[in-house]
Amino acid sequence: MSRILDDASLSWRSGPCLPAWQTLSAALHRQGECLGLQHAGSDPDGPALQLSHPDLHPLHTRLSGLPALPVELSTEFTLQAACGLMSVHGRASGRPQALGVNYLATLNAALTWQGLLAAAVGQLRGGHFSGVALQPAAGALLSIGQYLAGATAPEDPEQILPGSQDALARPPFLSAEGALFELETLDSHPWKRFWNAVGVSDVIAGKAWQRFLLRYARAVAPMPAECLDALAALPLAQIRLIAAESGVALVPVRGLVQRRADADYAASEAGPWQLQRGQSGVPSRKTTPGQLPLQGIRVLESCRRIQGPLAGHLLSLLGAEVIRLEPPGGDPLRNMPPCADGCSVRFDALNHLKDVREVDIKTAAGRAEIHELCRDADVFLHNWAPGKAAELQLDAADLHATRPSLIHAYAGGWGDAKVDAPGTDFTVQAWSGVASRIASASGTRGGTLFTALDVLGGVISAQGICAALLDRELHGHGAQLHSSLLGAADLLLDNHCGIASPTVLQGLFATADGLLALDCQSRQQHQALARLLGGEVDPARLTAQLAERNTEHWVDACLEAGIPASTAHEDLALLAADPRLAPSLSHRAYRSVQSPWSFL
Amino acid sequence: MSVSVMVPTLLRPLTDGQKKVEAQGETVRHIIDHLDSRYPGIKARLVHGDEVHRFVNIYVNDDDIRFASGLGTAIAPGDKLTVLPAVAGG
Repeated sequence: MSRILDDASLSWRSGPCLPAWQTLSAALHRQGECLGLQHAGSDPDGPALQLSHPDLHPLHTRLSGLPALPVELSTEFTLQAACGLMSVHGRASGRPQALGVNYLATLNAALTWQGLLAAAVGQLRGGHFSGVALQPAAGALLSIGQYLAGATAPEDPEQILPGSQDALARPPFLSAEGALFELETLDSHPWKRFWNAVGVSDVIAGKAWQRFLLRYARAVAPMPAECLDALAALPLAQIRLIAAESGVALVPVRGLVQRRADADYAASEAGPWQLQRGQSGVPSRKTTPGQLPLQGIRVLESCRRIQGPLAGHLLSLLGAEVIRLEPPGGDPLRNMPPCADGCSVRFDALNHLKDVREVDIKTAAGRAEIHELCRDADVFLHNWAPGKAAELQLDAADLHATRPSLIHAYAGGWGDAKVDAPGTDFTVQAWSGVASRIASASGTRGGTLFTALDVLGGVISAQGICAALLDRELHGHGAQLHSSLLGAADLLLDNHCGIASPTVLQGLFATADGLLALDCQSRQQHQALARLLGGEVDPARLTAQLAERNTEHWVDACLEAGIPASTAHEDLALLAADPRLAPSLSHRAYRSVQSPWSFL
Repeated sequence: MSVSVMVPTLLRPLTDGQKKVEAQGETVRHIIDHLDSRYPGIKARLVHGDEVHRFVNIYVNDDDIRFASGLGTAIAPGDKLTVLPAVAGG
């Protein structure tokens, strides 16, 4: 395995370090290293990224803001507040609050790179692209796009506010000696066996099951007291035994130190992608891209739920033709309420740009159809359970026999880690140390019920695919590309990305009509705030002073004075109606998110 | 006895677009058979072999029948049957 763009002729320059958001600058740098690119120094007056290669006209990405969210005054804290992450995370963590990890820095760095790499692909395919603008606010909104869809559905919209749920009455679970662990099963039978063995009635186990299933969609999971009490009376060793006998997976909530001691961690530290180049193969179609860089690229996507479909969605936003392979009768997730025009709004948010082909991959005829579709495809993306691709004879070796130039991409759960559990967002949060880090910051027991890793994993997968497509344009090879939720988690907690930006005064404050997010990072900003407040920042009076005026007044005054500040949205329906975010949002039957990229 | 059945969006084409229909029966199985006699094809979407279809959850009031007696779960007067899509994981 090698780094994807390990090519001495391909180099990049970084732009100025963002004073208000140093972790974004660090994440950009780190991901450039993980991609294998040569760093040719920084240009303090230049754009965020510049890419050079003898076969390319110079390409760059710059960051673009909104009037109420200017790039130079955007921070991890203010963007998480303004774009709904604090609201979604707050549903099950007790109140709106920050995730406590550099989430939007990592996510937006990945999107920034992805746009640039796609532009390079577009240029090499004959298009005219010189640059791309990435809007971090749109990137942030995209991360909660599914929840936004649910909150603005025309029929039975969800209104789940921060603090909706007792922060202690949710997974992860606690044993008698205080050990924290996640449980996971995708089937009700093991769940029923488990709770029966623990001493909980079928009726209660059934109530818990529905809430457990819906936690992915709703970011809340209120567990019945009977379930929590039953586990809290048992030692972990006994719970493990019962879980094993029932067929329910148990994953301990671990710290970062434990993760870094894992045998597979060293490889993950090199980056979240593993690429193996295949045989030489030149794509037979060559459609010149017009306005979007991946026009003419065809992607076959056989993915369910969030991570894989989000990767496909990002590729379609970049212009690729994405064909979703769904089982006969369609993907069951189409039916998950709330719905609009007969389709789940959450499903539509991730899949409305794609074409659909119903194929039965369990039959020889279905698999033959996939081989046939691959003859004309550039990318095959799946997120099947480990081993399934080989079993179906649809893995890289099989499909490369049909189409040597194919990028065969797997968006998996665990990567190379040998963990005996379904690799889902919350189990990977627990294993990777992400849950522990978020718990420390949030004052909760576990990670976030916002599907942080599914979303980041999808972005990382799409970013890797764009890099692999660029590699193919330069060297004419197909490839096998692996990425995973665990790789995304490791990147998120990467040592090289530094600690959070300095803070002098950071918090959410009640205003006359809502919540203000303030992020004073320097003495100068603190002094500017003092002037706004009439002379000094007195902690005893600050709350009362801020409550005297409305949020918009304070945001405008702070930004004018050079202080990072934003509206902290608690209600996603109000976020959707905020005129200041309107440029990043669009209307389908629900509120959806615009592409975060624009191409020049 | 007669109970109300809440129909998910997916299946409304089979019930002439109705969100809520009435059906007769003493167990969930009987209710489904009765529904199928009035709205042909609906049983095949709810039941696979002798079990609830994998991608469907059926509730009697708020209780998932998989945690009761499955299709044999008894129905009492005034009960409400709800059918919802079921998908695990994320």
